[in-house]
Amino acid sequence: MSTPSSLQNLIDALRVLPGVGPKSASRMAYHLLQRDQPGANDLAHALMHALGTLRHCRDCNTFTEAEVCEICADERRTREQLCVVEMPTDLLMVEQTLAYHGLYFVLMGRLSPLDGIGTQDIAFARLLERASDGVVQEVILSTNFTVEGEATAHYLAEMLRARGLQVSRIARGLPVGGELEHVDPGTLAQALVERRKL
Amino acid sequence: MAAPARSKRPRSGKSQPRIDAQPVFILHQYAYRETSRLLDIFSRDHGRLTVVARGARRPGSQLRGVLMAFQPLLLSWFGGGEVKTLHAADWQGGLAHPVGSPLLCGFYINELLMRLLPREDPHPHLFAAYYDAVRQLSVLPTDAGVQVEPILRGFELAMLSGLGYGLDFAHEVNGQAVQPARQYAFVGGQGFFAAAPGQGRFDGEVLLELAAGNVTGERTLAQAKLLMRQALGSVLGEQPLHTRQLLLDLQRL
Ligand SMILES: [Zn+2]
Repeated sequence: MSTPSSLQNLIDALRVLPGVGPKSASRMAYHLLQRDQPGANDLAHALMHALGTLRHCRDCNTFTEAEVCEICADERRTREQLCVVEMPTDLLMVEQTLAYHGLYFVLMGRLSPLDGIGTQDIAFARLLERASDGVVQEVILSTNFTVEGEATAHYLAEMLRARGLQVSRIARGLPVGGELEHVDPGTLAQALVERRKL
Repeated sequence: MAAPARSKRPRSGKSQPRIDAQPVFILHQYAYRETSRLLDIFSRDHGRLTVVARGARRPGSQLRGVLMAFQPLLLSWFGGGEVKTLHAADWQGGLAHPVGSPLLCGFYINELLMRLLPREDPHPHLFAAYYDAVRQLSVLPTDAGVQVEPILRGFELAMLSGLGYGLDFAHEVNGQAVQPARQYAFVGGQGFFAAAPGQGRFDGEVLLELAAGNVTGERTLAQAKLLMRQALGSVLGEQPLHTRQLLLDLQRL
């Protein structure tokens, strides 16, 4: 027996999701169609709605339904600081700290030369334009401390410094409340390398 | 410190090949399924392999801080198929994380290996050369300039000879010994040809330096860079290196 083409189309479509192979895709498809048709309907509508209404904020590049997102539109935020993160989820984490009152720029990715993701594939040109508005005084690079995040931070630092902007990188080291005895040696080694003068 | 990979040990009695505490560098890694990672590794005694690290993307996984590129690791794995299963990962220590421009050079040598190093083919000498290159890159500052050049040329030479593409710098294609005062042209896949004065791009003196393994001095470095680009170009074929493009973009800033 062959799979009906509409079912096969759905299975193929589900495989666009990261980490979903043919097996999981067909499991998902059968679940949606057999066990949860209302859920399937909601999913279809939510997806169409999001595709139709979401766009990138004019200023920070994150997802928003308006031209400018709530954070960028907030008059109380410090407009002299710009925090650069890889993904919207990273922005939300920094927001949760309540320790940062400046604005953001979301790259929606990172440089990954070994995956063929280069400088043309990330919104670097838009960031450069955004950071050169004459109001931003400091750009805080908050990309991940992975090798790709570090490469991205290096490229951005060079790019922004060439425009005369002040650039800083978030610090890494021991976790808050961290005891040397219990921290992993890689983190401790790097904390020693990146020690600061008192 | 060992980070358990949360993978079941192979059932005893079954002859599942098992490797313990093998010196390894991770060349690249990919997200795999929901919580795992696929590691493209270069191991000392077993060459390049693909290993799955189960659960490495779970929040709080101890593997997260251990499975980093450019860090010497000791990995244990089992499995006889194309994809091995990680059993344990130890951080060996001793090297700082390369930063800035030396980090991008690290990506470059990783890309070279990913393009040219066949899988499951042991190359302990090349592994030693890689370790050495990473060690040298890891002590350079973010804004290192020409200091990276001898490291890259040294690795490129070790890689070409280790993978069987080695050049005979001391002889022409026809077998004649290279003369220090003469000039030579290079043809990828063939070798060196004597050129009329002023026509060759490579000085005999420089080729003899390279034959002796000396990649120092401004002229030698400049000519070696050109030569390696030609030699690698004929081995790599049409598809350009992504990391070379990134380094060019960076220079253009
Ligand atoms: Zn915004």
